[in-house]
Amino acid sequence: MFREFKNILNINWIYIFIVFMIFWIGEINLYSAAGGSLDPWASNQLVRFLFFLPLFFLIIMLEPKFIFNFAELFLILVLIGLITTLIFGYTGMGATRWIRIAGFNLQVSEFTKIALVIFMAKYFHKLNSEKTIGLFKSILPLFISILFFILVAIQPDLGTAVIILALGLVVIFYAGIKIIYPLLSIGLILSISPILWTFLKPYQQNRIQIFLNPDLDPLGKGYHIIQSKIAIGSGGLKGNGFMEGSQSSLDFLPEKETDFVFAIFSEQFGFTGSILLILLFFIMFLIPVLKTYKLTQVFSKIILFVLSFKIFFEFLINISMTIGILPVVGVALPFMSYGGSSLLSNLIICALLLNFMSINEKKRMFS
Amino acid sequence: MEKNKTSEDSIKILNRRSFIIIIFGAILSLLVSLRLFSLQVINFNFYKKKSVENKLSIKLTPPLRGDIYDSKKNLLAGSSSLYEFVVFKNLSKDYLDEIKKLDSLIKLKLNFGEISNQLKKYNEYSGFSLSRASWKQIVEFEKNKFLFNSIKIIESKKRYYPYQNFSQIIGYMGQPTQSSELYSKGVFHLERSYEKHLRGKPGKIFSEVNAKGKTIREISIEKSIKGNDLDLTLDLTLQNYAQSQLPSDKKGSIVVISVSDGSILSMNSNPTFDAQIFEDRENNKIKDLLNDDQKPLFNRAFSGFYPPGSVFKPISALVGLQRNLIDSKKEVFCKGHSSLGDRNYYCWKKKGHGKVNLRKAIKESCDVYFYELAKKTNIDDIASLSSNLGLNKEYDIGLSNIGKGLVPSKKWKKAFLDESWYQGETLITCIGQGYNQTSPLQLATLYSAILNGGKYPIPKIDKNVPTKFTGKLLNNEHQQIIINSLNAVVQEPRGTAHKLSISNPELVKIGGKTGTSQVIRIKESEREDDQYKSKEIEERFKDHSVFVGYAPYDKPKYIASVIIENGGSGSAVAAPIAHKVLDFAFKNNV
Repeated sequence: MFREFKNILNINWIYIFIVFMIFWIGEINLYSAAGGSLDPWASNQLVRFLFFLPLFFLIIMLEPKFIFNFAELFLILVLIGLITTLIFGYTGMGATRWIRIAGFNLQVSEFTKIALVIFMAKYFHKLNSEKTIGLFKSILPLFISILFFILVAIQPDLGTAVIILALGLVVIFYAGIKIIYPLLSIGLILSISPILWTFLKPYQQNRIQIFLNPDLDPLGKGYHIIQSKIAIGSGGLKGNGFMEGSQSSLDFLPEKETDFVFAIFSEQFGFTGSILLILLFFIMFLIPVLKTYKLTQVFSKIILFVLSFKIFFEFLINISMTIGILPVVGVALPFMSYGGSSLLSNLIICALLLNFMSINEKKRMFS
Repeated sequence: MEKNKTSEDSIKILNRRSFIIIIFGAILSLLVSLRLFSLQVINFNFYKKKSVENKLSIKLTPPLRGDIYDSKKNLLAGSSSLYEFVVFKNLSKDYLDEIKKLDSLIKLKLNFGEISNQLKKYNEYSGFSLSRASWKQIVEFEKNKFLFNSIKIIESKKRYYPYQNFSQIIGYMGQPTQSSELYSKGVFHLERSYEKHLRGKPGKIFSEVNAKGKTIREISIEKSIKGNDLDLTLDLTLQNYAQSQLPSDKKGSIVVISVSDGSILSMNSNPTFDAQIFEDRENNKIKDLLNDDQKPLFNRAFSGFYPPGSVFKPISALVGLQRNLIDSKKEVFCKGHSSLGDRNYYCWKKKGHGKVNLRKAIKESCDVYFYELAKKTNIDDIASLSSNLGLNKEYDIGLSNIGKGLVPSKKWKKAFLDESWYQGETLITCIGQGYNQTSPLQLATLYSAILNGGKYPIPKIDKNVPTKFTGKLLNNEHQQIIINSLNAVVQEPRGTAHKLSISNPELVKIGGKTGTSQVIRIKESEREDDQYKSKEIEERFKDHSVFVGYAPYDKPKYIASVIIENGGSGSAVAAPIAHKVLDFAFKNNV
């Protein structure tokens, strides 16, 4: 089940350094969001991080084969988890997103992303003899992606649901579906989107309308976007300086510790800081991706590429929300937003990435 | 081998797709970066301003309003403390319940629905004033203070008017009518016209607030600046005395001005009101006041216009003298009436005054003498001299609803009634009836003009306004004839107000002129006849009693102009009041 210990010395230390650095930037950011206090966010998040760290290294040490073998089990576990959430879930802020396990509130949808990618990686790995993948072979992964999308969307958690669906589609695309099908789907989605619109809950429609024009509701739902843009815009080129963000310290930014942490960051560190952060995330994305070019096994390629993409994608979606180019749908900023499930799932992903990056590939490794 | 090849092809596809997705990610990152550039670099100033606006709160603190004093620095309008029940939403979640509790405990009779509506939108850190608190209510509240976490008693300022006799001059304050107005402002009379002078400058507290409006720190404080004080020419004691002399059951007015500089020393109107009820928000009293038939808000001294009656006669006489239409020594025979065309114009004294010269005509108020003069007079000369002597003018001294009145002219009649002028109308105009409309303040000014020889000081009420003279000089000889005659009215037997000298010899000696202002145009033949004089005539159709006098008669210092509505003849009612008020002014050297 576990690899030899010397493998731990072969892991990509640069990558692990970048992960820890981003987490540390997040910690500093949470500290400033609380007005220069570890309490309540920074210290909690640090405790979680330290608590998760053993698991992180444990996953690095796992035999990749073990992950390959249990891909279906992981999928079934999150499926059970999602159904349990819907039935016994803990309701907060109008949504049933959490289940309590051993005193922790766990957001199963976060782990769904990982399980789905692992499962689909295995699925396409087994099909790797086929040059391009036809529609028929894509139906099962597509069906599962849509099933998970629905299970999460009815919690309701549209943001996570969309990410799950997007990841499923990215795997299918990456695995080599004929290019005609994605193009057809985009056309189809655009043409039926007016019908989809009617399926959205009124509050979801509302969010999208207000996204398109925040001034429709400057004190209500549009308030988030308006205040976030003010925070970011007022940061300017160089930023107001550490702990000098008035939008944050005077509470003008709602949800500043979760979905809007980027606004806090950008208000303090400005355009320069924001671009550096984007570069950091982009490098973090590319390190596992570059490794994929050296690999020949479809399973590890998909794991490395899509899971690395997941973190970068969520990062982009999150900051696009805070700067008003995407509707506010509730996607956390990896390693920087306050929250246990997001931190845990991203640490698991990074551990998996480190694990697969250190593979000495042998033929027929996964079968 | 074949299988291996396809597998390698498949890896190539994965790598190609990987490249596409990286490009897609890079494009997204670029878009995000461009957006950030737009927000943080291009539109930095816009968002910086928004951010400063967000956190900066400017709270205005009302300035203390300037005080108003009489000429001897007695306070007529000042500021006093008041206490209010103020609710702060941030202090307790149960603020609505607490308001209900307070209402039932102290019987504030609050409009709960409206208050809770307004409170919903209210910033939770700014106090919302529920109601004024009386001492009794404060005591009751303090006893039960433990019940109320969100309600406090807060001190603020209100206008304080110690003497109600000044309400009709000083006016009162009104609640803000627009959201941009932060505190009450003067809405009537001097409070209104001197608003800018009295208001002062609000203080500003600049502070940093958080999203909920809670002050985080004060950045700077600009202190409020008290408004300027206003010193009036009025005299507290005279104003109060004059008010006491007005018959309480009759509408009327007394104006006392100073001959030398036009200062208004007192200006009363009956009935009057108490401006304090507006400040104390005594809504029932305010409602009664606004609905009162007697119109207590109406100051008859400058808003009340009446035909001046015989008080007007000096103007006719001066026109006659200026135009050489009369010789002051030449006598006219009064047989009780005079005729023009086929109409008779009657003297008030039916049996006639016999031989009458100018002096006797004024002293005994002979109408026929003035009819004869009027037959030769151009009405436009009357109008022009009237204007020169202070009538037909609106004095811009800061009082609301101050009127202009009317002295008719040919042009006026053409313009307003679209009729030509008849000489018969000149006859009744010359004795102060007809279209003539003057206010008591204007009549006082007219006599000031006569006593000052034509160039007279414009009336003033603001002590710090420099005295300004206006008008054209009169011929000195003409002026003396008129003044001698006016002195004779009181000082000589058979003068219409000679009774004053007899019944009150101890009072200051005055000169003046009586007048009777007709309320309805009864037939000329009925004027002053027995039937009309009888008390059976309905009160509201009775003549107004008019008197304008000055004291002391040999060296005039004060002028009093009195009208008592439906009072009857001038000599009987208005003259004794004027005499007493002039005496008071003289003896107290106001």
